[in-house]
Amino acid sequence: MYEEAELQGGTPAYRSGRRGEDVWIPVQINENSAEPLYHQIETQLRSLIISGVITEGTLLPSIREFAGELKCSVITVRRVYQDLENEGLLRTRQGTGTFVSNVGDAAMAEYKHEAVRKALEGAVDVGKSVQCGQEELTRIFLEIVENKYREQQ
Amino acid sequence: MMAQMAIELRNVSKQRRNKTIGPLNLTLPQGYITALVGHNGSGKSTLMNMLMQLVNPDDGEIYWFEQKYKQGLPLKVRQAIAYVPENSLAEEAYWNVEEAASFRKHWYPEWDAEYLEGLLEKFEVPRNVKLGKMSKGERRKFEIAAALAARPQLLLLDEPSSGLDPFAWKVMLETLLRYMDETGATILISTHIVEEVRRLADYIVLMHKGELLGMAEKDSLFGSWSEVWVNAADEEELAELAAELPGVLQLTLEAPGAASFLTQQVQGVEEHIHHLGLKVIKSRSLELDEILHLWTHGHRPILVDYEKGD
Repeated sequence: MYEEAELQGGTPAYRSGRRGEDVWIPVQINENSAEPLYHQIETQLRSLIISGVITEGTLLPSIREFAGELKCSVITVRRVYQDLENEGLLRTRQGTGTFVSNVGDAAMAEYKHEAVRKALEGAVDVGKSVQCGQEELTRIFLEIVENKYREQQ
Repeated sequence: MMAQMAIELRNVSKQRRNKTIGPLNLTLPQGYITALVGHNGSGKSTLMNMLMQLVNPDDGEIYWFEQKYKQGLPLKVRQAIAYVPENSLAEEAYWNVEEAASFRKHWYPEWDAEYLEGLLEKFEVPRNVKLGKMSKGERRKFEIAAALAARPQLLLLDEPSSGLDPFAWKVMLETLLRYMDETGATILISTHIVEEVRRLADYIVLMHKGELLGMAEKDSLFGSWSEVWVNAADEEELAELAAELPGVLQLTLEAPGAASFLTQQVQGVEEHIHHLGLKVIKSRSLELDEILHLWTHGHRPILVDYEKGD
C-alpha cells in the first residue's frame, strides 16, 4: 500500500483497491516491426506521460503486471521504467511502486513541437514520393489548415 | 534464503536407459519465470526430477540457492520448493482435497490455508471427491493450488496446463503472475504451449535430445527471424537470388513471380534486394514457435544484445 504523502502535489488517478488495478496504459505492440520491443514500449509510454494522457502522480502497474499485460518479460519492463526514471519522467519508491513525475511545461512544449514536426515531415515525404511540387504541397497544406480550423470555430 | 541464483547446474549429466542427458549447464536467476521447452523425451522431466533430488545426477553439481547438498536436501530447502510433477502422486489418490491439504500442511511451515481456499474456489475444484477419482484437469488444478499454498520460493511446474480447460488455464496464468508479483519467487515451467511461454516467461531454455541448446531472454527472440517475399520470375532468377543472398533459409518459389525466404538480417537483406533492382513484396516476423523450431534444427537465433544499445 502506498502512503498518502506519495500523492501530494499530483492528481491521483488511482484511489483504491489493489495497486495498479485502476490504471490501464494503452501501449500497443507491433509484432511485425523491426523496432525492438523495449523501444516500442518506451517510446509509447514516454509520449503518454509527456502528452499528459497519464497524469502526474499516477501509480503505474507493477513490473510483473505490466509485463503480463504486454506479454513481454519483466526484464524489458524494468529497463523501460529505469530509462524513464533516469529521464525524470518516473520515480520509484521502495515498497510502493512507480509513479509518474512532474513533466514540466518546457518538456511538454518541446514534445508537442517534436510530434507535430514529425507528422508534417511524414506528410511531406508522401508528397515528394508522388512527385508533388513544393508550391503545390504548400497550397494543399494551407488549404487543410484553413478547413480544419474553420470546422473548429 | 536470499540468493541471486535459485538453481545452478554445472556439467550435470544422467545416463538414462536409452539416452544420455547432459552435460547440462544452466542458471536460473531468482525472481524470474523460466520456460523449459523442447520435444517429448528431450529430458525436461529428468531435469525437474533432479532439481527435486528424485533422481540424482551421475556427474556434475547442482546448487540450490547457491548451496550444494550432496547428502540430500535439508528440510528447510525442501520446504522452500514446490513441485507439480507430470504425473500426480499415486499415494494421495485415496484422499479428498481436505485430507491431502492437511497432510501437506505439516510439511510446509508457510502453508496458507486461506490462500488455498481462494484458489480452489477460483479453479472450481470439486470437494469430497477422492483425488484419484478426479478428472485429469481437476486433479491438475488441485495440484497447482496446493503447490502455491506452500508459498514456495521455487516452483517447479511440469506441463501444468495439460488437461486444463481454457477457463482454468487463464486462471492459472493470472494466479502465477500475481504470485510472482507478490513474492518475487522463481518459477521453472515446462510446456509445449507457445501462448503460455509468451504470456508467462522471462527466459526460455531450450532442450533437445538431452542437451541444452541455450537460454535466451524471451524478448530478445522477438523479431530475430523474418520471412521475406520478393519478386522473382522463375527458377533461373531464384538461383541468381540464392547466389546473391547467402545465409538465407528456405528460399522457394511460392508462385510464378514471387519467392520467399527466411533471414535473420531483415534490414540488410531488404537493402540488398533494393540494390538488385528487386522489390520486397512483404515481410513478417516469425512467431515464437517457428523461431524455436529453427533453433532445434541448428539455426540458433542471433540474439539482440540490449546491453550494447540499439
